[in-house]
Amino acid sequence: MGAAVGNNRGMFWRILRRQIFANRGRLFVVLLALAAGAAITAALLNLQIDAKRRLTAEFSVLGPNIVIVPVQTDSEAPSRATLDERILDEVPPTSPDGWSPVNASGYLYLVADLSGPTSRTYQPVVIAGVRRSLADKGVAAMRHNLRPPGGRPCIVGSKVAAQMHLQVGDQVLLHSAAGEEPCRVIFLRNMGDAGDAQVSPELEVAQRLAGLPGRISLVELTARGTSGQVNGYLEALRKRFPNAGVRGVYQFSEAQEKIYSKISGLLTATVVLVLVLTALCVMAAMTNVAMERRNDVGLMKAIGGATRRVVRLFLTEAALLGLVGGLVGAALGILLSMELGKAVFGVAARPRLIVYPIAVGLTILVAIASSFPLRRLAGVRPAAVFRGEA
Amino acid sequence: MFLRLVADSFTRRPRRKLLTGAALALGMAVATAALSVSLDVGDRLAREFRSLGANLVVTPAADSLPLEIGGVDYRPANSGAYLPVADLPKIKAIYWHNNIIAFAPTLETVITVGNPASVAKTSSYIPTHTVQFLGTWVQHAIRTADGSEFVTGIAKTNPWWKVTGRWFDGDERECVVGRKLADELGVTVGSYLMLFTSSKGSEISSNGLTVVGVVDTGGSEDNEIIGPIFIAQQLSGKPGEYRKLYVSALSKPEDSFAKRDPKSMSADEFERWSCSPYVSSIAYSIAQALPGTDVRVIRRVADGEGNILRHVGALLWLVTFAALLAAALAVGASSAASVMERRSEIALMKALGAGRWSVGLLLAAEQLLLAVAGGGIGYALGIILARVVGERIFGVAPAPSMLVLAIIVALAAGVTLLGSAIPLRRAARFQPAPILRGE
Repeated sequence: MGAAVGNNRGMFWRILRRQIFANRGRLFVVLLALAAGAAITAALLNLQIDAKRRLTAEFSVLGPNIVIVPVQTDSEAPSRATLDERILDEVPPTSPDGWSPVNASGYLYLVADLSGPTSRTYQPVVIAGVRRSLADKGVAAMRHNLRPPGGRPCIVGSKVAAQMHLQVGDQVLLHSAAGEEPCRVIFLRNMGDAGDAQVSPELEVAQRLAGLPGRISLVELTARGTSGQVNGYLEALRKRFPNAGVRGVYQFSEAQEKIYSKISGLLTATVVLVLVLTALCVMAAMTNVAMERRNDVGLMKAIGGATRRVVRLFLTEAALLGLVGGLVGAALGILLSMELGKAVFGVAARPRLIVYPIAVGLTILVAIASSFPLRRLAGVRPAAVFRGEA
Repeated sequence: MFLRLVADSFTRRPRRKLLTGAALALGMAVATAALSVSLDVGDRLAREFRSLGANLVVTPAADSLPLEIGGVDYRPANSGAYLPVADLPKIKAIYWHNNIIAFAPTLETVITVGNPASVAKTSSYIPTHTVQFLGTWVQHAIRTADGSEFVTGIAKTNPWWKVTGRWFDGDERECVVGRKLADELGVTVGSYLMLFTSSKGSEISSNGLTVVGVVDTGGSEDNEIIGPIFIAQQLSGKPGEYRKLYVSALSKPEDSFAKRDPKSMSADEFERWSCSPYVSSIAYSIAQALPGTDVRVIRRVADGEGNILRHVGALLWLVTFAALLAAALAVGASSAASVMERRSEIALMKALGAGRWSVGLLLAAEQLLLAVAGGGIGYALGIILARVVGERIFGVAPAPSMLVLAIIVALAAGVTLLGSAIPLRRAARFQPAPILRGE
């Protein structure tokens, strides 16, 4: 009996092998369809996960998403409330997305008088002393290289420059009750925001002008992550700095969520459609198989093959094809998505291992579901087949 | 004879032809949907991006330097320049008026405000907080040149501002209070606030406002009171004027050409530049329409939007291409399969003396007929599919386009022919005899 079962099993696989390789042209069509479906599915799923990460990076360019301000105790002079500068070093350095650095900038604002290189007339302007965090080393190094020989550097807003007729390279003088500081214009800022009407020297310069050493009036943070992650990070910041006001900037985070949901929706819709198309393709081939194998099935049934076993034979064939097509296609798809990521976002998409089993599983499911036409074989009557009735 | 053979092939096995045709129609439906959605998606996404808020800001050209710290302008109230509100409808008359999604003028003035809690004890309001009052529009209707009405305001230029309660009515003595200030003052929806101009310190009797909402902005406005612009004009003594105008405009991502200085362009280049909806050319035409203004592009928003739009656009074309590829593959494979199954028929024709060209022509004619029928049905199905997808994702269905129909029918014909060409080439090499023997 045991030998018979073993024999049966051996026979099962032998028939299977013959079936699969019986028609190489069709085998190729089916495998190609399944592999292409798996490749596109894997590529799009990988891009979908990656797009989220890329979008948080792209949106972080729009500006800081968290600000830390002093809690105002003196409402008569809100501008005088300040924070300790050390808060900049205490901010957790890693973004809530788990890997990208947090960009932190500290600002000290005051109103001081500015005079140009030639005139001795003074114009009151807002001075925004700025210090960027260590995470922004590139900026710091660039600044260092740009440091002009005469005096410390400052960035001048284009509105200020237009009013005072300033150009890059000019020496200007900042004057306040606490003293006078020279600085050299290294850059004219034209961003269409409040900074266009400000002068930004290094933080220490502004602190000396304000007579507030070691103080800042505002911290701006750019932390990457989804809105849920950023909210968690905000809570952590609030616990860490109970004496400061921590608030989120919603302007960009909302748009980010909205746009990601649109893109994600489109990608999901495409994945579903592509899988349907793959199924269609395999189904077309399987309809042929069903026609062709009427004789084989008739014979199998005539010599005692149960319908269930015959069906199992065909389903195993479909699943095997799905497995092979899926394994090859999904691997290709992940490689493809890395290249596509580079083409779209300029950075290669990171392969996600979770995508691989999902794509392979979906392909097998599609292969099995699309062998639906083989169902007709169950109804084959051996006698009719052998009589030659179509 | 040729036509009879073609017709015969359709009538003899209608079920098989139906199946192949259905595969074709479904594949082309997906291709239609993908194409229609992606042709439309650029506009949709650009519109979504306007939830980032204003990308242009207009200020008086003759203005003195603003001394603004933490959202509060420390200039004396009468210094600097203002602009007339009456000019604003001109914005909807510029060349790019259809691209202007929203705009809102603002006028800010520093005031002191009385805490309503002080009423109980002293029976009169005592000013306790120095804050900024921001006067603006919320749902302001403007009559445009063509007689239609355009409703705009701060709720559209700054859509991320969340109001608990409701926005104020532009004609009523109402206001909304920033979240932080509301907590400090202890006011809620329904409270009554008394405003005092800070310069004199004397009460202006009529400036009591009802709080109708509390607003979360995530910015310095959380410390401000926001109300109708006419109240700000009364408080600052600047009737009919504003100081800043925020404009939200639909624009095309800027390339290097867009960023050139229009003054350095030749006449032709300038023509091309001003006829493209770049944010800088929209800024230019606003500056032309509103004399004495300085129109600036808010670079952070405009550049960030342009970059993301470009990348996302590329991503979506890629996805469309993937869907088209899958559709082509499916249709190609099913037409290949439909030729393969007819090996014996082909063999018989060859045995009867048909050349490979006449066999090829016969099959090609059949496939083309299927392609046109299947492609047409597929297009109709695809339009429905695009409608479903477009409505679910963007809330708006893309308009059907004739261009897509042409592409789809051409694609269907090309792919079916290509798909059947491969097995046909092999069929040409068949020896009829073994096939007819059933080997």
